Formats: sequence, structure tokens, C-alpha cells
Amino acid sequence: MNKKLREVPQTSRRASFGGRFFRLVLLGMVFLWGALGSLEAQGRAISGTVTDTQGFPMPGVNITVKESPGVGVITDIDGKYQITAPNDNAVLVYSFIGFQVEEISVSGRSVIDVILMEDMLGLEEVVVVGYGVQRRSDLTGALSSVSSEEIQRMPVANMAQAIQGRASGIDITSNERPGESGTIRIRGQRSLTASSDPLYVVDGIPLASKDAINNINPADIESIDILKDASSTAIYGSRGANGVILVTTKRAKKDALSMNYRGTLTIEKMYDRMEMMNSADYIEFRRDAYRTAGSYPDVPTRDADLAIFGMDDYAWANIEQGWAGGSWDGSRVSTTDWTDMVTRTALTQEHNLSVSGGSDNVLAYGSFGYLNQEGTQLGQEFERFSTNLNVEVTPVDWFKYGASVNASSSMQEYGFDSTSPSGARSLYAAALGMLPYAVPFDDNGDRINLPGGDVNILNPIGDEKYSIDERKTYRLLGSLFAEVNLMEGLRYRMNFGPDYYQRNRGIYRDAMSMNRGGGEPGSTNYAQYSTDSRFSWTLDNLVYYNTSFDQHNLGLTFLQTATSNRTETSQMTAENLPWNAQKWHQLNSVSALSGFGTNLVETTMTSYMGRVNYGFADKYLLTASARWDGASQLAEGNKWDFFPSAALAWRLEQEDFLAGVHWVNQLKARVGVGTTGNSAIGAYQTLGAITQLYYTWGESVDGGYVSSDASLATPNPMANQDLGWEKTTQWNLGVDFSFLNSTINGSLDVYTSRTSDLLMRMGIPALTGYTTTFANVGETSNKGIDLNLNTYNFRGRDFSWTTDLVFSANRDKIEELSMGKVDDINNLWFIGERLAVGYDYLFDGIWQDTPEDLAEMAKFNANGHAFQPGSIRVKDLDGDYQIDPDNDRGIVGHSAPSWTAGLTNTFTYKNWDFSFFIYSRWNFMVETGAERLQGRFAQRKVNYWTPDNPSTEYPRPNYNNFDGDVYRTSMNYQDGSFIKLRNVSLGYNLPANVASRLGISNMKVFGQLMNPGLLYSKIDWIDPDLGGSTFNRGVVFGVNIGF
Amino acid sequence: MVAGTSILPSCSDSFLEEDMVTSLSTQHFTTAEGLDELSTGMYQHLRFQFNYEWAYSMTQYGTDEFSTGGDRTWALWNTYQADLNSETWHVGDWWNNIYGNINSANIMIANVPRYYGDLPARDTRLGEAHFMRAYNYFRLVRQFGGVPLKLNPSNSVELEFRRNSEEEVFEQVIADFNKAWELLPAAPEQTGRITKWAAAHFLAKAYLTRASELYEGWNGATKQADLENAVLFADRVINESPHTLADDFRDLWHYTKPNDVNETNPEIILAAQFSDNTATQGRFGNQIHLYYPSVYQNLPGMQRDIPGGREFQRLRSTNYAMDVYDRVNDSRFWKSFKTVYSSNRPGTAPVWEEGYAPSPELVGEPRFAGGEVAIKYIVNNAGDNRYTQDNIKFEAPHTFVRYFDGEAESFTSITGNYEASRWVALSKFMDGSRSSVASQFGRRDGILARLAETYLIAAEAHGRLGDFSAALPYINEVRARAAYKEGEDRSYYSDGGLAYINNEAVNQDAFNSYSDKNTYYESNNIATELTDATSSALVFGSVADIFASDAEFYDYVGANSDEEKFIHFILNERSRELMGEMLRWEDLARTKTLVVRATRFNDEAQPDPNKHYYRPLPQSYLDGIRWDGQNLTPEQKQQEQNPGY
Repeated sequence: MNKKLREVPQTSRRASFGGRFFRLVLLGMVFLWGALGSLEAQGRAISGTVTDTQGFPMPGVNITVKESPGVGVITDIDGKYQITAPNDNAVLVYSFIGFQVEEISVSGRSVIDVILMEDMLGLEEVVVVGYGVQRRSDLTGALSSVSSEEIQRMPVANMAQAIQGRASGIDITSNERPGESGTIRIRGQRSLTASSDPLYVVDGIPLASKDAINNINPADIESIDILKDASSTAIYGSRGANGVILVTTKRAKKDALSMNYRGTLTIEKMYDRMEMMNSADYIEFRRDAYRTAGSYPDVPTRDADLAIFGMDDYAWANIEQGWAGGSWDGSRVSTTDWTDMVTRTALTQEHNLSVSGGSDNVLAYGSFGYLNQEGTQLGQEFERFSTNLNVEVTPVDWFKYGASVNASSSMQEYGFDSTSPSGARSLYAAALGMLPYAVPFDDNGDRINLPGGDVNILNPIGDEKYSIDERKTYRLLGSLFAEVNLMEGLRYRMNFGPDYYQRNRGIYRDAMSMNRGGGEPGSTNYAQYSTDSRFSWTLDNLVYYNTSFDQHNLGLTFLQTATSNRTETSQMTAENLPWNAQKWHQLNSVSALSGFGTNLVETTMTSYMGRVNYGFADKYLLTASARWDGASQLAEGNKWDFFPSAALAWRLEQEDFLAGVHWVNQLKARVGVGTTGNSAIGAYQTLGAITQLYYTWGESVDGGYVSSDASLATPNPMANQDLGWEKTTQWNLGVDFSFLNSTINGSLDVYTSRTSDLLMRMGIPALTGYTTTFANVGETSNKGIDLNLNTYNFRGRDFSWTTDLVFSANRDKIEELSMGKVDDINNLWFIGERLAVGYDYLFDGIWQDTPEDLAEMAKFNANGHAFQPGSIRVKDLDGDYQIDPDNDRGIVGHSAPSWTAGLTNTFTYKNWDFSFFIYSRWNFMVETGAERLQGRFAQRKVNYWTPDNPSTEYPRPNYNNFDGDVYRTSMNYQDGSFIKLRNVSLGYNLPANVASRLGISNMKVFGQLMNPGLLYSKIDWIDPDLGGSTFNRGVVFGVNIGF
Repeated sequence: MVAGTSILPSCSDSFLEEDMVTSLSTQHFTTAEGLDELSTGMYQHLRFQFNYEWAYSMTQYGTDEFSTGGDRTWALWNTYQADLNSETWHVGDWWNNIYGNINSANIMIANVPRYYGDLPARDTRLGEAHFMRAYNYFRLVRQFGGVPLKLNPSNSVELEFRRNSEEEVFEQVIADFNKAWELLPAAPEQTGRITKWAAAHFLAKAYLTRASELYEGWNGATKQADLENAVLFADRVINESPHTLADDFRDLWHYTKPNDVNETNPEIILAAQFSDNTATQGRFGNQIHLYYPSVYQNLPGMQRDIPGGREFQRLRSTNYAMDVYDRVNDSRFWKSFKTVYSSNRPGTAPVWEEGYAPSPELVGEPRFAGGEVAIKYIVNNAGDNRYTQDNIKFEAPHTFVRYFDGEAESFTSITGNYEASRWVALSKFMDGSRSSVASQFGRRDGILARLAETYLIAAEAHGRLGDFSAALPYINEVRARAAYKEGEDRSYYSDGGLAYINNEAVNQDAFNSYSDKNTYYESNNIATELTDATSSALVFGSVADIFASDAEFYDYVGANSDEEKFIHFILNERSRELMGEMLRWEDLARTKTLVVRATRFNDEAQPDPNKHYYRPLPQSYLDGIRWDGQNLTPEQKQQEQNPGY
């Protein structure tokens, strides 16, 4: 049969010309690297070389003699130095900014090579906080940072992937469709139905929506700082409740000119953890399903098979091979590898080129990035061009002006997606749904539209050509500022952040596509064109005042800000277009559109904020802030609210009592509290919009209205005139530490929060005329722990080993609902339980054909049940021999994990580095596992019950039961805990002297294994990280060159 | 830089004001224009019956007329299996949609007196609202029994609800229909609007329903008056309204284009309006065309096309649905069911097998050409010895025979070579005007009330009053119309698929599956063409004829007394006239014949007499309401729920 499986031509969109050029550059570089060896330097009496942990020589390191600090030298361009020590017992002090100070006793040696450790804590490092920057040592709140180095460690297509597992307190799910990203939750979920997405702030400008994640090139990101606790996020008031992600894009450094190129090539393939039934298994399975229904004999016959398999001649010809010898031999029936025909080995290439330069007065940075990502499923692709330009000018010492622009243009081929809710969501899933014994093509090589003959099983092979969903996004994100130094310590700054977003989406479905009938007679084509354009702006007026006197440090910040969003959308749809090539570009070729519409949504917000930072003797730090926010989408009278915060930190290592404790390098205790809000509900919810419905009087169409129409997919909710802010108050207790000569560093935070006046879209009895409403009801709580730990496990001259661990545990809980401490079963909200839970009957095995079970079943059946051997048994919680929804349903799991952890181990040896990253999410529910077992559709291989196989795992197949066993859904709740080895990488740094001979300042080549696989999972048929059965695995090659 | 003076637009409150330009708000319903538009919006709900899978599954599955076809998606409504429970989607959807429309009616009833002024349509608007409220509570009470009566609009969330008694709901229904009758005009302003005749029809039906067996526990006091009122209001429609029976039963179903003349036939008292205006068709369209057809597309020589329809193969006609007709004299069978399909894909036509070909040289040649008969269904009776599994291979078309030689009659199994996906399909809803084969958006109006039913309501009420002879003329009116007329071509067939002839989406030059022939003569084994009128065979001369006519069924369902026989006769006559028109389950439930008729005539239905005369209240209702501020306890929920669920 295999000769019938034709190769399907792939879509021809390949790398563009630019992509090909970069590919050549990359290959050249790899070749060069192979031709070179490594070289090493030598030294003389009290001379030596200073290098960093990666083996790079460090020029400019300051070396002094401890006893006479006035005497000193600095290392040359190759990191070499010579110094005369006064005596054999002298101590040399090596220091360099950003690195730990080393003190080394000469002890009679004449050659001393030194490796300086980067100061992991970066105490002097400046981090971005809301509306300003702070020294890390002065922080009073809980914050996680991800540096550009960490971002670049893995080739990532978007920001979400870059953060995953790198920062504590943040849970990110995965999404493998090119151009899509997972969801990000900071310290769990608080809101029941209002948005739980964090606020994104790019270069100081809060963004209107989260879609920027996919539009910003990760290579342009200098740092990502994540504000987690309310004392830090309250500065964003009403928008800070779900945490804040501050993105700082790269900019030039003073007195440095540089050019960098980075390129990666990723090769990926899709793997599937699920095993489908092969032809022999499936044929027997369908027979069993018909046997249960009483329409197949116990012993198979050819005629009986013909009756249940004979609808498609080609498929039947295959099955007949099983009867070829006169008796049945299922192994003779071939199995079609459907999924192989919709997948491919996918290539992703990414190129980034950046240049920067700066003088005292002008700093300029520019970059260009290109990403071309193929999906492992045919028809999925993502291409992005991006550029980041910024310039900062200080013409006079009291004035500074800066502008940065992030522009990107991307095109996503979303790929196959079914229009029907029950249909396959991807081409791969559609291929999985094909019957194993059926074949895709007839003898002429034409597609068989209904392989197997079932009118609901359409052939998806080739659908990537017929089902196109192209999403073009253009994004321009600006940040402009002007800053005036009015007097010593007093600055005024204005920020203006325009954000323009335009998305044009074209959908074309050919008459041959599955969604349009698969080319069966009467199938028609379909096209839709829609646009989304949004313009938002933010305007900040900021006044800063900083002063210090004696041991007091004081900083004041005042802010007035306004934000406006305006979104316009339009959409038109046509069917039965006269020719195919037009796709959605000539919809006027039909006489009447089958659908059209436009919409406008405007929201505005305005705020005032004041903040004070006070430090005493560098030991005691205080931050307090207050913010007033007003938002348009809340009801009149409830628009404004107040969000205060305060935090204290105590740097214990500065205290005299710790002065003699040498193993403590840093110890800081923090406590903070703050209130934040969430107004993330749509506009106009308080205004009582009504639904337009049309009716025809004979031939004339008339527009009418009702308040809400329950037959729509999302009926209007009941308007709520009292809608106000949802508020979260959070306490955070944290400690930052560094011990044992900074070999153990980290921070530990515990927090507890309470969210009240929950904004909920809640179901209400339909007797009110509405099925839902938005309301401020109820209360949730959250508590958790975040740990960041970095350790130097070993450090030597040539070899070092470091471990980074992030661990977060969070438990959210529903405290109160609309009626107080009363469960809301319709919405699956239960007092004292997690926010997102499953609620169902409890699976208790399969009824067996044993005297005990038969006796038990009889008692149930006397109460109207129809249990038989092979039916699913569920727990009868109240023991009344009647399974009913009021008494016998229970909570079956929660979908947020109990904890997540990321572990990175990095080893360096001379110029080599090696690291691997393990990620884990633990104790969360995945809804999968229930099977209909009707015997009509393709089936995952499961151990189902038959009279001869008294399985306890899955019930008896039954052709008469479309929806499967009555209690089928009780099998749907699995523990998704997993540990995954996400990547393994190996890199090589070209020695500096070799690099300089090549005219470059540094170069690194690296290779990576992406997603080697699950180390542990309780479910063996899906990848719980992704929620589906498939995952992509691949290798990456890359090069990083600095000029 | 424009430093310090920079814009502070935000200081003014107007910056935060919301200005909703894309939608109107509920304030609109406090104007006369808004109330007119609310009325239009309210009518849209009439389409609900035809919108999706809700109505047929709750009104046709699990009855004597139809059983489950090859697609078993909603088989639970037919089998009454255990997952027909409070969590089944349809009960919640049904409930939510109906209460949504009741809310619109409540807004209208509350606002018209306050805001509408003295505009001429004032009474009409109010009358429409009372009709809608009555119509919806009537639907609720027949499916669920007593339900909470909500008679005023809600402006804020309300959670305290409790069921009213069945009796109270009926009282409300009858009061509202009476108001509608008083307020509504005799002639509609526009096609499709509710008239006082529609109110009278439903009022008669509500009275009749309340006087039925299901409510015997409490209807003693009202029964006599109700039956008299049923006659009174039915008579008003029959005698005083402009509505008359269609001349030919076919006229109701002979549809050749959207808004065709069949949709304004004077027999139609109320119909949900659908049209070919795609931009305003809403989310569903009339979808009933999907559910009745059996599968034809996968037979060699055939493919799906617009006139043949998209076979969702949900509702398989039972043997009862065929045997209830006198298929020689009663034209309604042949005008309601499709028995012949033409070949529209001759390239894949089956070929003659050796030994069966009409002549040896035809072996291996196609058995039929494009446009020739490709599929025929023989609706014969047990005892017919003409067909065997083997000899049908001599037939050129795919031949499906109800009873092979020697096969015994059965009402509870599929007989002959009919099967789960092959049956004689009800064709009343076929729609050849759709934009594509795959389109679910049907464009035909959906009939909610027609005069033939009014006649049968009056007849039943007279019979229940014990005056069978008074019932006779009403029955005869309907049956006389059902008869073949003199000279009528009995082999001619038409259904709504015929609209393909006016459909631009159909290639008129290509073959299609539509056939204007039926198997009348072959099925009935009649050799010579018949041209006589058959009214004399259908019209009863006396009451005794009623009891003689469906005799074999009376025994089979255990009807002994004349009263019982009469009810079963009416149910049979309703089947013959109203087959598949989504009234059946409610008729069987109210007459308490559901269990006996479903188990005796439907091969899969196993209703429980202690449970299945009522539907389960949706779990979302039980879980969502509060009593005295508290969630209901499991015991309270069971107390609120119908017994057995």
C-alpha cells in the first residue's frame, strides 16, 4: 500500500534572500573556528595574567600592594601585569569594577595568575524599578532579574521563553506554535475572571497589552526586571496587581564602540508520546465496539467486516489483505503513517547585528534582527524583522534628550486550525484522527476526501496548502524623554511613549480544505480579512529630587501620567469566491459579503503618584509610595482609587556586630506591604450594551435589539453600575544573602496576599435575562515562597562549576465569593480551594463481571442506573446507590502547579563551557485521558475492557454510545507533574589573542540540544509541559562575534 | 522641549468619561423606537426552535416517530440513557434561551405603559410581549413541569428563585395568551408578525394541554372548561380568521426559493422567518434540514449536493412513521418522505455483475447514467414476497427494501436492508436554496403553527369532552385535504431541495441528486396508474370508522376503551399530518402515552415511567440559585429537581 502514499509538496515559502545570506556568513564562521587552535600566555617573576572565569584576559585590572595602597599598576590589553612586591609576604589586591576583589599573598612566588570572579550579586549594579533605577543594594522590594547573557544562553523566539525557569516566582507555560507564546503568571493567579496577565513596561512605557512579547526581539533586550511584590508594583497602582515585567532594551555604553553579530540555526523535529492503535488493533477495537452494540459476531467474518469497514473501497482493499489467507490475520493489514505526511524537519534561523558607540555627549545604539522559524507541522511559520534604534544626547550638562524606537514587522503563518469546536486544532491533530487502515490517495494519486468512508473523517493531507491563516503584525514602540536638571538634585523629566500596533489577518480556506468540505461536491472556498489597529500613548511628567546630608539619603519622585488606548477593528468575510488565487485580496469579487463589521474601543487612564526613598547610613532603607488612579472603564463614582505601599530594608552586613563575621558577605532583610489594583476588564461593561439582532418580515430585513441573547457564543453580561477596582494587598518578607566569599548567593522571599472585590464574570441564573455579569465579589488569597540560589560549587584556574536554582511555590485560595463563604458550583469556585479546579465524579475503576460487582451494580441499577460489566465505576460518595450530581461530585485537582523550579548547571573548562537546564512544574492537573471509545474515530492505544480482557483501566467500547461511557469525564484528570531537561549546551570561546589576530574582539561558537526530553512524568501519553502529546526536539548551532 | 507647560489633559474628568459609540444601551428600551426594536429583537427568538440541535432532540428523539440515525451525537435524548441528566447541555441551553426571551417580554410589558405613549402600535407591542411570555412558559412547563415564574425585568443580580407549581405556570400561560388575544390585531403589520389568531391557536392548545392526562393530579377543576375553551378558541381561528387549509398538502412544503409562496400560504398561522440575507442571518439559520436526511453521498454514483442536502443523519424514521399512513390513499406520506435519488456522479456508478445484468454484454457496464435513478427506497409491507437480499442485485439503482420475502413485521427493529444510515428520510425541511452544500444556514421559514393542527386541537377537545361525532368533521377536513385528488400524478414528488433551480450557487448544467419521482407504484405493488380521488377512502362516514381505522395499533399499544382509542387515533392522525414538525414529544408526554408508544415503536427508547415524563432541570439552575442567602443543600436540590434525576 505504501506506494500510494505520495510525497506531498511542501509550501514553498523558504528563507528569504536575507536569510540565505546570513546562512552563508554563519557557515564561514564555523569553518574558520575549526581551523584554529588554542594558544596560551606565559609570565615572569611577580608577573602574571588576570583573566575572568571564562578565560578572557582582563585589561585594566587594578593591582595594588595591600600594605601600601598608593603603589599600583594596571593590566595591559592581554591582561598581563608586572609589579614589584616589597617582600615575600606581601599581599596583592586585585580589583575591577563589577568583579569581586581578590587578595593574594605572594608567598615567595614570582608568577601569580589570577582569575577574577564576577560579582554575582552586583551590589553596585543598577536595576530598573518603576519610574527609575536603583542600586541593587538599595532595593527594598522583591525583584527578579534576567540579564541579556541569560537571555542569549538559549535561542529563544520570544521573551516568555527567555524568562521561563530563570526567575523565581514566575510560572510560564509553553507553546510551540511559531509566533505564539505561553502565558506568564507572576506569583500565581489572583483574579478569577479578570486578566491575570502582568503589566509590561518597555523602556519606561507601560504597554496596553501583552502582545509585545512576540514583537520585541529578545536579542535587543538588555535586561528584564520582574517586580513581584506589591511594595514594588504598587508604583503602577491599578495595573500592578499581576506583577510588572520591566524590559530595558540595549543601549550604548560610554566610551566604547562595538559591533556584534549573533546567529543561530535550529533544526527541530516533532516527537509524539502518544501511541495510536495500528490497523490490526483498531480493527479489533471497532469490532469490539460493534459487539457491545450487538451487531458484530464473536468470531470475525469477512462479511461482518465488510458491513462495518466497507464504506471506502481503498480502505477495504487494505482490510481484505487481512482475509487474504481465508482466515483473519490483522498483521497483514498495513497501517498508514498519517502524521508523517504533515510534519517536517524544521529549520529556524536567527541573525542579529548590533552596533553601538558613545561619547560623553552622545550615545547611540542600533540593531537589526531577523528570525525565520519554521514549524515542525507543515503550514506553520514565523518570520520577524526587527530593529531597535536609540540615541541619547546631552548637549549641555543640564539637559538630556533621548529617543528609542523598537520597530518590528512579523508574519505568522498560523497554520491549520479547525473552525468547529470539536474539530482538530492543528494539522497534526487532524492527521492523528485518521483511521489507520485507510489510505490518503487513490490509484490515480488523487486525494481520497473521506478515507474510510465516514462523512465526518476528512482527509487533512495537503491541507497546509488549502487552509491559510496569515497574520501580519507591524509594531512601533517608541520611548522619548527629555530631562532637565533644574538645580542640584532636582530633575524634571517628561516621557512620551507612543505605541502603534497594526495587525492584518487574512484567512483563506480553499474548497479543498477540510474546513470547507475537503473538496467534496458543494465545498466552497472562504476568505476573511480583518484588521486590528491600536494606537496608545502614555505621557509622564516626573519630578525627581535627591539629596543627602550626614548619613541620610533622600530621594523623592512625583508623577502625573495619562494613558489613552484606541483600538479599531474591522472584518469582512466572503464565501464562494470566483477564483482561488485572490485569497482575501479581492473580496469585492463576490456580489455580497457574507459578513462584515467594524468596531471601536477606547479606554483612558490617568494617575498621580508620589514616592519617597530614604536611607540612613546605608543600613536602613525605606521606600514608600502612594498612587491615585482613575480608569474609564469603571462606573461613574468608582473610577478613582488609592494604592499605597511601604517597604523597609536592613543591611545587616553593614552593622558592627557582623563586621567580624567574614563568611557573611551580604545579608539584607526586607519587609514590604502594598496595595495594587486590577481594572483589566473590557471597556463599556458598566454601560449596559444591548445586542443587535435582525429579523426578516418576509423579505424585508429589520434591525432589532434585546438586552442579551443566550444563543450567542458570548451573550452580553448584565451591566453593573457599581463596578470598581479589584484590589490586592500583599505582604512580603525577604532576605538577600551572600555567604562564604560569595560562593553562595541568593534571595528568599515569602509572601502572602489577599485580593478583594474580585472582578468576576460570574454566571447568574438565566431567569434574570442574562447568563453572566461582571461584579466585584469575593476574595482570594495567595501565599508562596520564592527562592533564588546561585552557588559556585567549584572554582579553579581552568575549571569552574556553578549552579543556579530558582524555586517558587504558590498556593492560591478562594476565600469568599459573591454570597460570602458559599460555593459557586456553576463557575467551579469553591471556598477554601484553589482558583482553577476540576469538579466531577470520582473515577473508581471499571465494573467487573464478578459476583461482588454484579451484586453492587444491581443495587445501583435498581435506582435507574444501567451499569454493566465494563462500565466506568465512580465513587458513590453518600453511599445511597445512586450517582447524582448533587452528592457525588468532588474536586478532582487544580490546574496551577504547587511549585515550579528551574536548575541550571554551568561548567567551564578553559575556553569551553557546558551547561544544562532542567525545568519542573509539580502537582497540577491536566485534563486529558477520557476516551469516547465509540469505535467510530481513530483511537489512542488503551487497555479497554472486553469480556475476555477484564481491564480496570478503560471501559468497554460501545458503538451505540457516541459520547462514550456516561462517566467518561471522570477519567479526565491527571497529575501533570514533570521534570524536563530543557536544553544542554556547549560553547567555545575563541582565545582573545586569536580573536584579535582575526580582527575581532571576541567570538563564541556554541551548540545546543533543545528539549532532550522528560526526565519524569506521571502521564505517559502527553507532554504535560505542553499539554499535548507532541513536543519538538532539536539542535541549535550558533555563533556570537564581537568586533 | 515644552517642558513644564506640557499637557495635563488628564486633570479634567472628561478624560475618563466612557463614550460608547458602537452600541446602544438598555436606556434605548425606554423610548418608543427602542421598544419597537425590542419587539423585532424578541421575534428573533422564534427562530430558536430551528437554530441548532436543541429542538429536534428534545421534541422528536425518544418518540414513536423517530429513532437514532447513524450519527449518535445526541442519542441520549432518544434512548433515555443515564446521561440524559441535569448536566446535558440542551436543557441548560433551552432554559437559558427561553428565560432570556421572557426577560425581553417582561421589559416590554413593564416599559410600554410608561414610555410608549399613545402610538398606534401600543396594543400590538404589549400583545406581542404577552404572547412571547406565554409561548415561552408554555414551552417550559411542557418540558420541565413547574418552573419559577419571573414576571418582571431584572436590573440587578437576583439569585433567590423557587419553582412555581405546574398549575401556577399554566395559569400564567393562559392569562398571558388571553391578554395577547385581546391586544393583538387580526391582520399583521408585516409578514411574520404575531396576530390574534396565533394567540388563539396557542391558547386553544394550552387549554387542551392543561386538560390532558399528565395533569390529572390537579386539573379536575378546570378540565371541562378548558376543553370547552379549547374548542372555542380553535373554532375562532377556523371560522373567523383568514386562515384556510392549503389546497394540497404539498403546497406547504413545495419550496423553490427563499420567501416563496409556500411560506405565505394561508394555512400558516405563525412561522419563524428566515431569509437569504446572509449578512443578517445571525449565528445559525434554520438548521433542521440537516437532521432528517439519511446518507446518500457515499453510495457509488452519488455525491453530496445542494438539493440532496447535508446529511447529519440524526433522525431515522421508525417503521411506525411509515405504517401509520395508508400509503395507497393518503398522499401525506409521499409528500413528506423522500424515496428516490438521481445519480449525480455517474463516473463512480456501480457496474452490473455477472448473472444479474439485463444482458451479458452489459456486465461491467455502469448500472445507471447521470440523472437516472440511483437510489430507491421501497416502502413495502411484511409479507411482500417480491424482494430478496439477492434479487435486488437485478435492480439498476441501489435498492433499499423495507421487508424482504419472509421477513416478519417489526416495530422495534430495523428491517430489510434499511440500516442505521439508510432510511426513508422526512423531507419537509429540505432546503435547496442554501449557499453551499456545507452551509448549515437554512433559509426556509420554520412553521410554528398551522391551521391543520388547529383542526386537530378542536377535534381532540371534542373527543375528550366525549362527543366523538362533533370531532368527526374536523378530522374529516384534514383527511379530505390529505387525499389524492382526481387525476393527480401519484408518482410525482417534490421537496424543498427543488429550490436548487433558482439557486445561483448550483451549476444547473451538472447532474444533481434531486428526483421528481417517488416509488409509490413499486412500493405499493400497483401495476396500473391510479387517477381516482381517494377522499372516500380517507374521510370517515361515522365515529365507528375512527375506531376501525387504526385498529392494529390500538391493540398493540393496549388501548381498550373508546376514550383511549380516540386519544391514540388523534396521536396517529397528528403523526400523519404533523410528522417531524417538532411537536411529538410534548404530545406524547401530555397524553401520558410516551412510555408505551416510545417503547413499542422505537427500537432504542427506554423511558422510565417514573422519571421521563419530565426533563431534568438544568444543574446550572440548581447550583446557581440561593434560598435564604444560602446555596441549596443536596437535599434541597433534589427537592427542587424533578423526580429521578
